Amino acid sequence: MWKKLPLWVKIITGMILGFAWGMIAVKIGLSKFTLDWVKPWGTIFLKLLKLIAVPLIFVSLVKGISSLTDISKLSRIGIKTISYYIASTLIATFFGLLLVNTIRPGDTFPDEKREEFMGEWSQTVNEKQQFAASADKSPLLFFEEMVPDNIFNALGDNSKMLQIIFFSILFALAMVMIPFERVKTVRRVFDNLNDIVLKIVELIMKFTPIGVFGLMAGVVVDFAGDSDIFVALGKYFFTVMFGLLFMIIFVYPVYLKIFTRKIGVFRFLRALLPAQIVAFSTSSSAAALPVNLRQNTQELGISEEVANFVLPVGVTINMDATAFYQAVAAVFIAQVYGIDLTVAQQLTIVLTATLSSIGAPGVPGGSIVLIIMVLTSVGLPIEGLALILGVDRPLDMLRSVVNITGDSTVDCIVAYSENEIKLPEK
Amino acid sequence: MKALRRKYPLWLKIIFGMILGIIYGLIAVRFNLENFTANWVKPWGTIFIKLLKLVAVPLIFVSLVKGITSITEISKLSRIGLKTILLYITTTMVAIIIGLIMVNVVKPGSSFSEEKRMEFQTKYQQTITDKEAAAEDIKGGSPLIFFEELVPDNIVGAAGDNSRMLQIIFFSILFSIAIIILEAKKVTVVKGLFDGLNDIILKIVDMIMGYAPIGVFALLSSLITEFSGDADLFIALGKYAALTIVGILFLIFFVYPAYLKIFTKVRISEFFRAVMPAQMVAFTTSSSAATLPVTLRQCTEKLKISRSVANFVLPVGVTINMDASAFYQAVSAVFIAQVFGLDLTITQQLTILLTATLASIGSPGIPGGAVIMLVIVLTSVGIPAEGLALIMGIERPLDMVRTMANITGDAAVATIVASSENEIGTDNDDDADQSEL
Repeated sequence: MWKKLPLWVKIITGMILGFAWGMIAVKIGLSKFTLDWVKPWGTIFLKLLKLIAVPLIFVSLVKGISSLTDISKLSRIGIKTISYYIASTLIATFFGLLLVNTIRPGDTFPDEKREEFMGEWSQTVNEKQQFAASADKSPLLFFEEMVPDNIFNALGDNSKMLQIIFFSILFALAMVMIPFERVKTVRRVFDNLNDIVLKIVELIMKFTPIGVFGLMAGVVVDFAGDSDIFVALGKYFFTVMFGLLFMIIFVYPVYLKIFTRKIGVFRFLRALLPAQIVAFSTSSSAAALPVNLRQNTQELGISEEVANFVLPVGVTINMDATAFYQAVAAVFIAQVYGIDLTVAQQLTIVLTATLSSIGAPGVPGGSIVLIIMVLTSVGLPIEGLALILGVDRPLDMLRSVVNITGDSTVDCIVAYSENEIKLPEK
Repeated sequence: MKALRRKYPLWLKIIFGMILGIIYGLIAVRFNLENFTANWVKPWGTIFIKLLKLVAVPLIFVSLVKGITSITEISKLSRIGLKTILLYITTTMVAIIIGLIMVNVVKPGSSFSEEKRMEFQTKYQQTITDKEAAAEDIKGGSPLIFFEELVPDNIVGAAGDNSRMLQIIFFSILFSIAIIILEAKKVTVVKGLFDGLNDIILKIVDMIMGYAPIGVFALLSSLITEFSGDADLFIALGKYAALTIVGILFLIFFVYPAYLKIFTKVRISEFFRAVMPAQMVAFTTSSSAATLPVTLRQCTEKLKISRSVANFVLPVGVTINMDASAFYQAVSAVFIAQVFGLDLTITQQLTILLTATLASIGSPGIPGGAVIMLVIVLTSVGIPAEGLALIMGIERPLDMVRTMANITGDAAVATIVASSENEIGTDNDDDADQSEL
């Protein structure tokens, strides 16, 4: 019967059991036992995720961009669409940073506890301070650091995510500029690799319940059974949820109001509702796509030509909510571990979160690997992932809703600017 | 204005960038803008250098494999092929050795006074300490340590380290030989992959070269501010340019005739009369490939080399034989080292010899190909790659002379091979030789 349960149920079970174990272990003095015999399973899980992060990012970015730029090369609509998508994602990321830096859900610990944790993580903190110091040298250092001087070196270092992304984009752009026939084999290799890597992710995800159990128990023991951590987690959950709802109810309508004039906000939301419900229950933008298409063309009057291009592209590259979520999650984890992030680091988070949401495969669990990417790129302890894994699924449902709402918003804006939308007679 | 800019050829834009960089640099020194320049201008140059380094390892690997597998297919079948390749490699090495001798004797980069040199040395202190440590190692170890160091014990590790170029080259050659030995159908996919990767990397090089004018501007301005606008720098550059041109002309009018005298019975004046039209085309186009039809015609009709020999030796030469380019790499690398006040050990000069030879074999004939090859040579011996900003502006005129020498070298080797096979001097305007090729 266990086998038949959906994965996300197993993950939550693992989380709860891990939490319970951790609390009990602390109470009855089994802390060391837990660290020696339980936590390693969590560490293995994390290592597996880290293992797959670089290949995933490289392969799926190249595949994603090279299929994408095929399109934009040819049309003005394409370029418009992509620009709007990237802009909305950047804004979502900034919004996330704003929210999480204001509410500071991870700051629920009193100062002495913080010092304790900082002592544990002092090595990472020192590295970070060094980095911060070097940021004073030249504001342009950020761009310098983005360019790798040896690709194999960069690929071999999990902290050089931005460099890997930079190279992937360069590589993909070059590939696109060359006639298809000449790079046929390379493309096929990347397609196959993409399938293989996604399959590995799937396999790793099967291990998640045990991994989360181990991680959770480890985290509870590490934090000495302090229930403050769960207050923090609750705050985090509500911060994310609030932010996501805010985007649906406020941010996108504002875009609509600014860039289009005649599309009524209520009409928009009402038209999208069926698609949003499908997205919510399936947690998948791809699954909601057919419904979204129908609603956009029939209820909102957008021409099929535009919708058939903008929406599928959006499913692949536009994940505002995912980017938002990654930014919030990363900073939350930093706050819990008492790490202060410099401006340069927050900037790095914006970039990595945006770029990764573009290259993000629509695989459940894919976004977890991406968070690892964001975390490693600014040197944050990945163990923090344990905290948020358990609540990932419900948030994922809401995220998909926001993602497809964002897609439809851009669809309306592009259609409106191209006069490809039939507005109702008043 | 934008449309105008697009019409200028790249090499012209690079010269613009260089001139503007010099002007800016001199102004910056006058107005004490060193710090500003270091913070806001130099990074763009650093990015350019990083981009060149980024593409160096993949380029050398992929194009060496592609180059060797396409050629050695042919040569594995024939004695003429082997002869040709041996001759090409030998002439290239001789050219490099001549270059190394010349640049070490004339020392164009050492026009600075002793205190200035000490100043530069402290600036680039780290590279020097690394080198001294390396030198210590060598002195203690066996003389064969050079060959020991040639073989990597982990290819990914070697590929991840820009200073281990020779190891990467070694592996590329090993890899290519294995490909050739294997049956064709077992390796078709890999070959197709390398062809595709080769195109992609060349395209990336293209894109990077598009950025070159800005990069050169930034590098040159920061170099000038770092050297405090020392006019000695330009004296050094002038000496270098003169040395390079003299050296290349020496190759054309002295070295090749010497080869011909030793190995063939062809008269020097006859050779030059035949080759001159091709040399003119090479000079104006800066491209051995573009000149090839002319070179072929001159060799077969005027020098009476048999078509079958010419049709093999000359195209192969266009790809792998670039004596003057290799000469240029060696001279430039040592020049840059001299400017930065770095002394090179024998081992390092040996490394330059090997790297420049192998790099000129794997070097693609594209604009920017030579620059990346230079980056490869520089990084393999630890010379600061920023120095290439100095020579990039005059690259183009030197390229014209280099190409002239390259095709002359190809023609000379064709003549030698033909003479040794008795495939020269017969009237062959209308025959289609069925040789063992």
